Amino acid sequence: MIPQNFEYSAPRTLPDALALLADPDCKILAGGMSLIPMMKLRLAAPSHVVDLGRVPELNRISESGGVVHIGAMATHHEIEIAAAVRGRAPLLAEVASSIGDVQVRNRGTIGGSIAHADPAADYPAALLALEANIRVVSASSDRVIAASDFFLDAFTTALEPGEIVLEIQVPAEDSAEGWAYEKVAHPASGFAVVGVVARVRKQGTRIAMARIGITGLAACAFRDRTAEQQLEAGGAAVFAQGAQPSSDLYASADYRLHLARIHGARALQAALAKIA
Amino acid sequence: MKIAGAYTLPVPRERAWATLQDPVVLARCMPGCDALELIGPGEYHMKMKLTLASLSGLFDGKVRIADQEPLDRFRLTVEGSGKIGFMRGEGLLTLAGSGASTEVAFDGDVQVGGTIAAIGQRLLDTTSRMLIKRFFEKLISIERNDG
Repeated sequence: MIPQNFEYSAPRTLPDALALLADPDCKILAGGMSLIPMMKLRLAAPSHVVDLGRVPELNRISESGGVVHIGAMATHHEIEIAAAVRGRAPLLAEVASSIGDVQVRNRGTIGGSIAHADPAADYPAALLALEANIRVVSASSDRVIAASDFFLDAFTTALEPGEIVLEIQVPAEDSAEGWAYEKVAHPASGFAVVGVVARVRKQGTRIAMARIGITGLAACAFRDRTAEQQLEAGGAAVFAQGAQPSSDLYASADYRLHLARIHGARALQAALAKIA
Repeated sequence: MKIAGAYTLPVPRERAWATLQDPVVLARCMPGCDALELIGPGEYHMKMKLTLASLSGLFDGKVRIADQEPLDRFRLTVEGSGKIGFMRGEGLLTLAGSGASTEVAFDGDVQVGGTIAAIGQRLLDTTSRMLIKRFFEKLISIERNDG
């Protein structure tokens, strides 16, 4: 189908892009993996599309001072193969490699994905478990938001009008850590029906640190702090306690909760097995 | 699709009952709704602009309040249609509690059709619950600020 008419801008510098975003009717185009299908079905009909694809400073990936900086327009594939990510934040590279299919990974971007905040997206679980920060800018502001304060609800983030995601800051991995991502991919879309990230560190035989991020289960990805505390206290974890599981034709709420528990346990086991 | 839940309003029963029947308050709390216009007994015309992620759509329809049993329960129906599809939600709202707060429980059924349902099946449950949550959160914040 053909989208409705819209104005198209492709700024070449960040200040130009931010100036255009002052228009309240504009919509930002990143990789277009969610926006373009919606526009073709006319479910979305923005009057003005601002394409960030030509702003060079937005897709850089680098590491400095123990933090991996990932530009918002880095594609999933670029994240999957970048030496800085593979070397210092391999969990994120693994999660990026599990997204959708080859075409989606070649076009879709991390900034687009997190700003869209689909409840079944893969990145949020990883960014929560990694305790990543998200730097967002507008024409008049520049702030850093913790991942745990960024994802608020289905398709709802802490981004204010006029703000864009500039980069994702991931603390470089401690070599003593183990991690894993266990996902049940929807057979058609590749979205996570349920996905669990486990990140752990041990001290002797006990778990000194546990970070659990769960996506797909509820309206919004979340950190499972109850399970984290149970693990750090030396006990067994019951994953996703108190969660409000979503339901659809593919997976009922009960089934999703069951998947979260099974895959939580598997992710934990795999993460522990990675600690040498 | 069945949907049920409960929210607690920080006001006594009489006040909660009156608020939930007040078209001005309902309009302020319904996400994307500007005003409700009376067209018959307990029946209002509604225009709603729903924006969610990149999706946006105008819905034109009705809100109906029926089967009122004052201070205890009533039936609320919201239906609308637009270019991107139609939706119809009907539910029984039950008020309970004595003292300074009132528990409002809802139990109902949501139907969505058209393009929006064909494409967004995966998200209907999440979205419906989010819209209901926004409604009650707005209602609670209005009550807090007035009280």
